[in-house]
Amino acid sequence: KMAAVEGLERCLRVAGAAAARPERFLSVQDGLAADFKALTKTLYDLSKARGSNVVRGSPLKELVIESFDEEQIWQQLELQNNAVLDFFKKSIARDANDEDLCLLSDPEEDSSNAEASSDKELEEDIMEIETEQKNVYTKDKTKAKEKQSKPRESKMQKYSDEDSDVDFDIEELEQQTEIAKKTTSKKLQKKSIVDDKFFKLAEMEAFLEDVEKEDRGEEEEGINYFEDLLSDDEEEESEDSKVKPIKSSRDLTYKDFFDPVDDNDELVANTVEDGQEEETDSVTEEENEESTSEADEINEIMTENMRSKEASKKVTFSLPDDSEIEDSIDMQSEKSIDPIEIKSSFEKRQEKMNAKIRSLEEELLEEKPWQLKGEVSGQKRPENSLLEETLLFDHAVRMAPVITEETTLQLEDIIKQRILDQAWDDVVPKEKPKEEAFEYKKRITLDHEKSKLSLAEIYEQEYLKLHQQKTEEEENPEHKEIQEMMDSLFLKLDALCNFHFTPKPPVPEVKIVSNLPAVSMEEVAPVAVSDAALLAPEEIKEKNKAGDVKADAEKTPTDKKRERRKKKLRKRMKLREKERRQKLLEKVKPEQGTKLSKKAAAAKLKKLTKEGKASLLKDEGKDKVLKSSQAFFSQLQDQVKMQIKDANKLKKKQKKQREVSVHKLKL
Amino acid sequence: VGNEEMRKIPVPANRYTPLKENWMKIFTPIVEHLQLQIRFNLKTRNVEIKTCQETKDISALTKAADFVKAFILGFQVEDALALIRLDDLFLESFEVTDVKPLKGDHLSRAIGRIAGKGGKTKFTIENVTRTRIVLADAKIHILGSFQNIKMARTAICNLILGNPPSKVYGNIRAVASRAAERF
Repeated sequence: KMAAVEGLERCLRVAGAAAARPERFLSVQDGLAADFKALTKTLYDLSKARGSNVVRGSPLKELVIESFDEEQIWQQLELQNNAVLDFFKKSIARDANDEDLCLLSDPEEDSSNAEASSDKELEEDIMEIETEQKNVYTKDKTKAKEKQSKPRESKMQKYSDEDSDVDFDIEELEQQTEIAKKTTSKKLQKKSIVDDKFFKLAEMEAFLEDVEKEDRGEEEEGINYFEDLLSDDEEEESEDSKVKPIKSSRDLTYKDFFDPVDDNDELVANTVEDGQEEETDSVTEEENEESTSEADEINEIMTENMRSKEASKKVTFSLPDDSEIEDSIDMQSEKSIDPIEIKSSFEKRQEKMNAKIRSLEEELLEEKPWQLKGEVSGQKRPENSLLEETLLFDHAVRMAPVITEETTLQLEDIIKQRILDQAWDDVVPKEKPKEEAFEYKKRITLDHEKSKLSLAEIYEQEYLKLHQQKTEEEENPEHKEIQEMMDSLFLKLDALCNFHFTPKPPVPEVKIVSNLPAVSMEEVAPVAVSDAALLAPEEIKEKNKAGDVKADAEKTPTDKKRERRKKKLRKRMKLREKERRQKLLEKVKPEQGTKLSKKAAAAKLKKLTKEGKASLLKDEGKDKVLKSSQAFFSQLQDQVKMQIKDANKLKKKQKKQREVSVHKLKL
Repeated sequence: VGNEEMRKIPVPANRYTPLKENWMKIFTPIVEHLQLQIRFNLKTRNVEIKTCQETKDISALTKAADFVKAFILGFQVEDALALIRLDDLFLESFEVTDVKPLKGDHLSRAIGRIAGKGGKTKFTIENVTRTRIVLADAKIHILGSFQNIKMARTAICNLILGNPPSKVYGNIRAVASRAAERF
């Protein structure tokens, strides 16, 4: 016995330690798992060792855990549990109903009982219900085991879910419902059409069934094929009453699921105190629902919960106004504050509408925001407020295209297509057409003679030429092409075969241009004079930089200076030329050179003056004679005239004298 | 072949002898190719052309009349023959004084300009524009296709108005080359 106590204590310690740090269970804890396995084994063995006369349990004396995986351990436990389940259920129910037994005041304890009792599979190995300690242990263990193990039973899951979703005490409600059930267990009846003041169909059926059951009392172990199978919960709950009218799913109404729309609390109070029938009916109906589905059971409990005073979950229609309301949880909180002043949904909507109207009115009366006030300058609106606004304005300039991914993709598509088509936009090098002036003249030869062909023949020829040309044109291009291709091919072949191949040198085009009148070059028969010359005027005489020849009046000072410079340059060149020639001449032929040179002339003059043959006239400035040649020569002329005159005079005088003498002689 | 139609072309005195000389050349194509009847009325000094039963084409009469008329104006027989052979040849006549009122020496000079030395200018125009020109004192006759007549007329008018021949050459050359390029 000591060993057993020690074992239990150890188990308790382990479980307590594990429970103290529940956050560890978020991850897989292999060590703890092993501990718990050992713990389970210990408990199982102890229970088996203690033995029990009331119930047999599984044939296994001890729990085997070595190299057994979870599934197998569970199956072992299941064997044990299934065997003792029925017994435990009955005993618990009995003890729960037993007034002598002191139930713990702590509602959680009760709930644990209720929970445990409502479980299909007991997860505990040991349920020594008499011992309160055990209850504590089991409670802990169940809790620990719950947290550790994967809940096999989805019911448990749902219970826990329901617990989290709905903020109420399920245990309390169950307790209450049980109380309610007890008070009204006798009146679980269904109303039918044939019901009367004196006769109630449901009562009759119930009575008949009771009688039948009594008859069948010994045949508990056999399976009654005709009996309607009830779920374990219902069976347990309504065991004493033994009345279970069944309600089909077709008869479910709104009332079964939801609260009545008006003033639930009042109703609840009434039903609890006064109108018990209604409530009991509905309760019975709920309880007697033949529903194997777990959802219905949960709904049942939920509706029971809703009935309670403190039940605050309410289902409401989702009206548009209601959407603005906060969640039901908040409503619950509201209700929990003022449970008496619950307003109808219509009233709530009205309130909201009014609030909205008020706010709108206030808005209208207020000053408008800057966006709605006409022209707003920078001072009248907050800083950088335009950045947040989307503005519309006219664009004077065409906007640059927005480069998005799509545009780039489009461009790329175009590029790819171009590459495939080999359609490049290359610049074609332009060749300046060489228009030679002479060729133009040759285009139409001007025949200045009477044409030898008659007009008819001319037109005939033209006609023929026109028609022949068409056929010629078709052939020629092909010929040309062929010729070109052949040329290029042969050129390449030549280059390949001859190592010392040298291409033909480009023939320089020589154009002989003679400055002859055009008539002699062009005309077939020499005819009379023509003005045209072959060379262009520019080629004959170079045009000066200034352009056209300018009259003296038109010349600008620059032009004049330019001309002067040119003149001086020309003169300088001439002089230099002359000197060079003179020098050359002197060297080669000294006599001729000296004759013409300035030096020689000066020397000669000197000689003459010295000799006295010539006299140098000094230029004093007074004598007019020396200033101009005209004066000089006129003076010279005068001098000569004078001399002649004198001479004549002398001659005349001499003649006169001779005439006198002759006269005298005659005498 | 309903009624017999007849055309009369008067012959001036100066063309009498050339007509006599070229009579064979004239009447042969008319009679043989156009199937018409032709005679020279000595009394009235008219060339008369008449249709007969053998005439197939009624327009032949007009053609023949034009042919003879062209010859009478002064064109050569061979040139005038083109009128019969080609449909789209026309004959245009105008006077020098139509272009510009000239009198006396100016008129003579204008005519001289048109003719050129030894007929050079006239021949040049004829050759370039593919027409035939007859310059009879103050009257000018041009034979050729419509476009060519126009070109020649422009050239002659320019000469009358006083342009030097070289300039006129240049112009008609340019125009002719452009016309030639088009075809």
